[in-house]
This record gives sequence, C-alpha cells and structure tokens, in this order.
Amino acid sequence: MRVLWMKKEDLREFLESSKQFGELWGPVQKGEVYVYDKIDDFSRLILEPKRTLLPVKKLIHPPEFNILRYEGETYKTELENIPRRVVYGVPPCDIHGLLILDDLFRRYYPDPYYITRRERTAILGVSFCTPTEGCLCKSMGTDVVQEGFDLFFSDLKDFYLVWVGSSLGDDMVKVRPDLFNNNITRKHLDKFMECKKERDEKFTKSIDMTVIPDIMELSYDSPVWEEIGERCLECGACTMVCPTCNCYNVVDEPSISGFTGERRRYWDCCIFTEYSLVAGGDNFRATRADRLKLWYTHKLKSFGYSGKPACVGCGRCIDTCPVDINVLSVVRGLLGGKEKEGKS
Amino acid sequence: MGKKKIGIYSFSGCSGEQLVILECGAELFNLCDLTEIKSFPMAQSNNEYTLLDIGLLEGSITTERQKRELKEIRSHAKILVAMGICACFGGIQSMKLGEGGWKKRFQKVYGDEDKLFKTMKPLESKPCNAFVKIDYYIPGCPIDKKQFLHSITHVLNGSSPYLYQFSVCTECKWKENDCLLLRGLPCLGPLTRGGCGAACLCYNIPCVGCWGPAEVLNVPSEYRLLIEKGYTTEEIQRKFRKFGGAPMVECLKKIMKQSNYSATKAPRLKGGI
Ligand code: SF4
Ligand code: SF4
Ligand code: SF4
Repeated sequence: MRVLWMKKEDLREFLESSKQFGELWGPVQKGEVYVYDKIDDFSRLILEPKRTLLPVKKLIHPPEFNILRYEGETYKTELENIPRRVVYGVPPCDIHGLLILDDLFRRYYPDPYYITRRERTAILGVSFCTPTEGCLCKSMGTDVVQEGFDLFFSDLKDFYLVWVGSSLGDDMVKVRPDLFNNNITRKHLDKFMECKKERDEKFTKSIDMTVIPDIMELSYDSPVWEEIGERCLECGACTMVCPTCNCYNVVDEPSISGFTGERRRYWDCCIFTEYSLVAGGDNFRATRADRLKLWYTHKLKSFGYSGKPACVGCGRCIDTCPVDINVLSVVRGLLGGKEKEGKS
Repeated sequence: MGKKKIGIYSFSGCSGEQLVILECGAELFNLCDLTEIKSFPMAQSNNEYTLLDIGLLEGSITTERQKRELKEIRSHAKILVAMGICACFGGIQSMKLGEGGWKKRFQKVYGDEDKLFKTMKPLESKPCNAFVKIDYYIPGCPIDKKQFLHSITHVLNGSSPYLYQFSVCTECKWKENDCLLLRGLPCLGPLTRGGCGAACLCYNIPCVGCWGPAEVLNVPSEYRLLIEKGYTTEEIQRKFRKFGGAPMVECLKKIMKQSNYSATKAPRLKGGI
C-alpha cells in the first residue's frame, strides 16, 4: 500500500478537488447527533471522525429505496440513477462493517444494488478518533483497517498519514499531487506510534473477545435471554443503527390500475416477531428471548460464512437502546455481572 | 367482470380519512374508473346501503343507530376495512373506555339523556370490531395516502394489504433522529404503529401514539421505563390511553392485575444487567 503524508490545512483543498469523482458527503451535526450528509457548505463538514447515528451502510445499503419500476410487461431498475459519491470521515469500525457486508452482498449473494452503490462510492476513512463512551473497536480488533477504503487519513495532529487503498484512491491523489508528500521518515513513524498509544489509553470499556464466543456457546440456556426478552421493546432501533445488520424486506406496490408499480426494499430486523413468521402461522423464533439470542449470537459468536463475530465495536447499540440492552450489558449479564468496566 | 362496488361510511370522528382519500389525486380518478362508488358522504350525494364488494369505515361507534348501520353494512359487504384509529381502535373518544363512569360523564356534558337523544341513543365510544368482524385495518390519524392506496389496490385485486408491522422507532432511526426516550421524554414510539414516517420525531416532538398500538408491543417494559424516568402511574396511563383505544385498555388491565406495577422500581433479575 502506498503511504503519503499531507499537511492538515490542505485537507479542505483536497476534498474540494475530489468532488470531480462524485458528490462529497461527510459527517455533519444534526441536533445532538452526527449524520452523514451531502456537503455543499464546507463549514458544516466535521473533520474528526464521529460516531454518526447511522453508519456509512446507509449510503451503500439504504434504509429504503425502489429496486425497480414496472410498466406492463417491462421493467426498469433504478441502478443507473445511483450517484457517484465521495464519503469522507468514515471511522475504521464502520469500514470493518462494510467489509462484513461486502462478504455477504458481493461475495456470497451478489446484490447488484449493493455492488453498484459500493463501486460508485469512494470511501475516505479517518482515524485516530478519540474513543468515546462505548467505543469497543480495540476489543473487537477493528481499530485499524487494511482494506475496504480508497483513501485513509490517519490524523497525527500536525499532519495526516494518507494510506492509498485502491486505484480510485490513487487517481484522487493524482489530481492534486502537489498536496501530498511521499517522503515518509522516522519522524512520521514515531508520531504514528505516539498517537496510537495515546488513543489506546483512552478506551474506557472493553470486552474480552478471546473468551466471549465460547461463553456464548455455553450460555444457550442462560436466564439472561429471558430477562432481556422481557425488557426489549421490539423497537428495532439497535438493528437499524448496527453497521453489520443487513436484513431487508421486499414489497411490491402496484398502482390501482395494476398496470404500473414499483418494488420497494427496506430494512428489516430479526428481533421483530414477524421476521421469523412463516406461511401457516408458525414462528421459528416465537419468543423475543430466542430472537435476541440470535442477534447476539451473530454479533458475539459467529456470523455468515466467515464464522466470525459480526460486532465491530462501534458502540451504537449502547447509544441507542432505550432499555439498555447492548453488547456490553449482555456480556456483563452473561459473565454474571462480574465483567469490570475498565481498560483493555 | 363488472366494476367492483365500494362504499365509504363515516361514524364518529373527524372525517379525516375521507379527506385523505379525496386528496389522492390522479389515483382517485383511477379508483373511480375501476369501481362503482355507492357511498362517499364527503364527495357525493345519494349515498346508499347496498350490496358491496368492499366497505370502508371511518370513525368509532357512539350511538345505537351507528351500531345498527354498521351491522347492516357488514351484512351487505364482502370485505370490511377499518380506516383510521377511531374505526380501528376507538380513537381519542375511547380514551376512558373500560374505566366506568361513562353515564356520569355523559350527563355532565349533555345533560339528561332521555330528553336529548331519543333517536340516536348514545353509547360509550367503541371501535368497529367491537360489533362486527373487520377484515383489514389501515391505522393512522388520519391514514396515510400511500397506505390507503396500497390497501385498496390489494383488496380490489383479492390479495391482502401488507402494511408496516413495526413501531415508529424503526422509521425514526431511518430518519436519524436523536432518541427522545433516552433523553427522558415520554415518547410512545416503541408502542405505536409505524407508517407515519416518524413525522413528529423529525421535529423533536415525542410520539403521542396517534397511529394506535403497534401489532406487537411490550407495554409493561415501557411502563416500567417511564416510571424509572420519574413519571407517575396516572401520567403514564393517561398518555397510553389517549390514542391507545381498546387494545391498550386490555394491555393495561393485564399490567394492573400483576402485583405492584405502581411500585417505583421494577424488579430486575440477578445476573447483572
Ligand atoms: S453490535 Fe452494537 S457495538 Fe457491535 S457493531 Fe452492532 S451496534 Fe456496533
Ligand atoms: S434497541 Fe433495545 S428495545 Fe429496541 S429492539 Fe433493540 S434491544 Fe430491543
Ligand atoms: S424518539 Fe421515540 S420513536 Fe424515536 S427511537 Fe426514540 S422512542 Fe423510538
């Protein structure tokens, strides 16, 4: 991977130049939260990485959209309308989230809607973030990232180290080669190590992932599932905000004449009663406890073909659940309340 | 195949559903082309009780006469659809349902029943399904145009409408709103049917539940949560009942039967969480 460095003050100019590769998107403040939004007014863009309410998946696997429109016997997909975008400000955990979705939607179940959006979206990652309450990337091994982005900016206070992750990233650099410097010296490396160390010391919460997958295996009959099942409001919020939740529903919306119509796709959630309901009225996971157990099995034990836990430690479920059900509280419960809140 | 006959009938409510239907634009003309509309009080004269393929109802039942009319419509209609929360659950006028004391409240507002309401014979407000079988429900206050068109299209074509079953929170997250419940405000999003597009939440206004109780709801958990956040049982019950109608009355009855729900702290299992 090519690594360059760039002066802090040159970022804005670089991002302006990257607009020729697509609409510029990045985190902005909305009330008390951060969201990815289209950047027309540069002063709104937040340069440090932030935990946005929805992860970057919202731009690649949108909450709701039309797959196609039909008229009589012909139909037209909406693929060609997908815009090119350059998304700045994506933290490492979110990129890891994308890698897990890539596995699913690019490798095992090629999904043209996901693939097209992914290909038309340049991902510009940023670290080092200052870990906030609930950041668990260090525990999950998702605090660093080697792939899945086009460019990655390590914020080392006085300058950025810029990792070029794809040929598109390389093309973006080539538009303003004057802003980048490829002379990486000892000084840069030292600064990198210093910032990483400083960041690592700021984590306040941790989960010991060397044991949790096994603890999950051993906790099939734990009373924790009943307990959280009784408390869960079945609101779906945790699922919407999780970077690695990917389920969706597809519904046809015919017009009254029946001649035209559209096919909609929107996020679904395995915690909903309806999710595991099948024709004939049987429900494979009839209790909320069972459904939550599935959710947490995917996040903390194994998910998909990789067989690895799908939690990327973004901390969103901790921020989101109104009744305090999240990876931390579940782990604490499974460990009998002994899990200490502390440094890793 | 002849045109399908449909009829819209209005009971006690604000007639918001008819207004939404009138605002359906081009799709309304398509509906008129494809069907024979036998009743639509807001849009036409000469409305009749007659044989119908689809009967669409709005409003709750508050008089003996409405009850009779409803039963007559049912006997004539192959399919009955309740529209809006008054018809579906009882609406705001059913807020006190099951609490008793209806006669007294009535008298206080209207005076002596015998002298005033001989022909109509007032009843305590109830949803349509308290008296007849309802085939499909389109919740909302008022209903949403898209959900109405979706439902009528499916029913006309002999299939079942499929509306969101999840609660308001799901759409609230799609719109990336900061959670008001977490900030301590009494948001009823988790108990309320989705479909409104989280309209109020997008303006930072807590959900009051106007789309009616969700298909699946965990009333005890939100009840307990609001107690923990410092609301009194009276405040909570009033909020839950405002738009919750008959289904909420049932849920609250169950909760009150369990011991000590008014206790300030809910018991939690050992084990840490
Ligand atoms: S389970 Fe929670 S912390 Fe883990 S990735 Fe999902 S939202 Fe983030
Ligand atoms: S956010 Fe909490 S209450 Fe809502 S579905 Fe998830 S676990 Fe249940
Ligand atoms: S603000 Fe209300 S509707 Fe939105 S997520 Fe929170 S509880 Fe649900």
